[in-house]
Amino acid sequence: MSTIGLLRTIFSHKILTSNVIQTPSLNKSPFIVGFFLNHDQVRTMSRVKRRTTHPPYWHVLKNPQKVDDKISADNLRFVREVIQENYKNKSPLKPSELQIEKSEWDPKTKRSGVIARNIGMQYMWEKDGKKVKCTVLHVLDNHVIRYIPPEEYVKTMIGSKFFKYKKPLGCLVVGAEARNPERFTKQYCNLFASVGLMPKKTLSRFIITPNAALPPCTPITAGHFVVGQAVDISGKTIDYGFQGVVKRWGFKGGPASHGATKFHRRGGTIGTGRDKARVWPGQKMPGHMGSERRFSRGLKIMRINMKYNVIYVKGTVPGATNTIVRIFDTVLPLRKLKEAPPHPTYFPPEDGTQPEEDIWDSSLHVFGSPSISV
Amino acid sequence: MLRSLVSQTFRQGLVHSFFRRNAASLSESVVVQNPVETSEEAGEKSVSNQKNSDESGTTVVVAPPEFRFMYPEFLPDPKMERRNKLKEKLERMDMLQRRSVIEIPEFYTGSIMAVTVADSNSPNKFARFVGICIQRGGSGLRAWFILRNVVDRQGVEILYEMYCPLIQKIEVLRLERRLDESLLYLRDALPEYSTFPFEMEPERRLNNSVVPLNPIKVKLRPRPWLERWERQDLQGVQDLNLPQRFYDRAKEVAKPWEKYDLMLQYRKTIPAEEQEKIYAEVHSQLQQQDLKRKIRRRRGPNSEQ
Repeated sequence: MSTIGLLRTIFSHKILTSNVIQTPSLNKSPFIVGFFLNHDQVRTMSRVKRRTTHPPYWHVLKNPQKVDDKISADNLRFVREVIQENYKNKSPLKPSELQIEKSEWDPKTKRSGVIARNIGMQYMWEKDGKKVKCTVLHVLDNHVIRYIPPEEYVKTMIGSKFFKYKKPLGCLVVGAEARNPERFTKQYCNLFASVGLMPKKTLSRFIITPNAALPPCTPITAGHFVVGQAVDISGKTIDYGFQGVVKRWGFKGGPASHGATKFHRRGGTIGTGRDKARVWPGQKMPGHMGSERRFSRGLKIMRINMKYNVIYVKGTVPGATNTIVRIFDTVLPLRKLKEAPPHPTYFPPEDGTQPEEDIWDSSLHVFGSPSISV
Repeated sequence: MLRSLVSQTFRQGLVHSFFRRNAASLSESVVVQNPVETSEEAGEKSVSNQKNSDESGTTVVVAPPEFRFMYPEFLPDPKMERRNKLKEKLERMDMLQRRSVIEIPEFYTGSIMAVTVADSNSPNKFARFVGICIQRGGSGLRAWFILRNVVDRQGVEILYEMYCPLIQKIEVLRLERRLDESLLYLRDALPEYSTFPFEMEPERRLNNSVVPLNPIKVKLRPRPWLERWERQDLQGVQDLNLPQRFYDRAKEVAKPWEKYDLMLQYRKTIPAEEQEKIYAEVHSQLQQQDLKRKIRRRRGPNSEQ
């Protein structure tokens, strides 16, 4: 690391420790703070470490560390019974029981996002016979865990940084994939205690405007989005590990034959002489490839299956199959929502009528309809 | 030791082939019975079937074992990291939806087929192509097959996507199998082996129970070829007449141990239990669609209008 980088780490370390002293309640994890310097660094520059493979230190410890305590079968059964009783009667609320403040949607509203799973690609065809490759996204059992209003969120560590020069916004914590509480620590389960939900495997924060706030326990389904609208999808790209320059940056490499020795997949020179007689910052070199958070923006929703909570999106999303992605309303100015979507979120009709099960975009050829004749 | 091994494998093969033939004939005879009876009878039969299953308490739906040869595209891609049960189920539902509109008949590599496609460039807006199916692949909605024919002494191949809505009609003119799974070597064979007239009429099958196997051996043109056919262990090819060094090299490169690699087989295929589940899910709908089509065909073309 260069001297500047070293200085920065030392500098950020100082800030960080001072922060921790101010808010000791935030750091509940037993880890030592010094390991997690990277969470406080500027990472827009390519020469600085880009990714962390561990959770940030202000997260509570999620999975219990292995203990060798042997538990008898009787005790285990007792624990299971207690868990059953604790979560038996606390089902998610019905929409009529929620006290939602009715608010109007306007183009500046930021609605909540949704946690989904990328479950693969599927072909569909448009009405003129053109093939569309769609990504299938399964919207998981999303529930709102809590809402943090703007005044509070500004005071948190991330909020203070994010809204330093901006008007502060609120934040909605959404969880997905309920799991057995035995798998998590007590601290992690306590996050869900006030809501009465099973602990969720995935948690996510969505920045929202106060008029899109939702009360805890609200389920969010695939109906949150509308067919035809554009969405942004963020995910973690495929982890390729340490890769050479040909795969990572698309360099040409060397010739396969014609007397080439030991120069087939090399990058060649990395600097020149005279004034530039050094390696310039940002030089493309071998290194870790993938496993980064990326967005693909402005993807059109082609079809929604309300029964199975599945969204079909035109194009590809970051990450491998069966990984978690997050779906947002798009921020692209020309593809932004013009009409009001279900705001603050979609609720099934109160009078018990079943919504349409499979909703198709008007440009698509529905599989049950007759063949296309040009 | 060796001799005993050989005899054992031979016996196993015999048993296996016998079982397959038996199973096919048994199950196919069941399928054949269906079109003979009228729709009312069929309805009654299905009702009684359901009743039986209700009485026993467990509903065990078993699809005929030859379904995995008839409808291989219903099996998902065996690559484990790309599989997802929900997505596979949704895809199967879409496939059945498409199949309710268009008849996608049973065919194999080696069958001679005719496909009619909507084509904006042709004068009557439809294009019909006749050819021999030389390869078939893909799973789910991305299933495809390649037809090959020789038109005006020029080899023509077209890849059709089975579930593309531009396809208007798929006909099987001659249903038969060949000795190999892939007939790509027809590209290097003499043209008469892949020449078929466009006016060909569908052949009537006398014995519906068995798909006939065409044991024809194709004569290849002399080298150069598109692929090294001598290395591929082809059955449907006449003697290649190559110098001995080619066969020696083929022997060096061959991987005869792969057929004993159980893990390789496991990764390349869907387990039999899963196949049964998948076909149990789709077979009732497939058979109903088949039945409806047969009834409509018997009533004649006037009823379709």
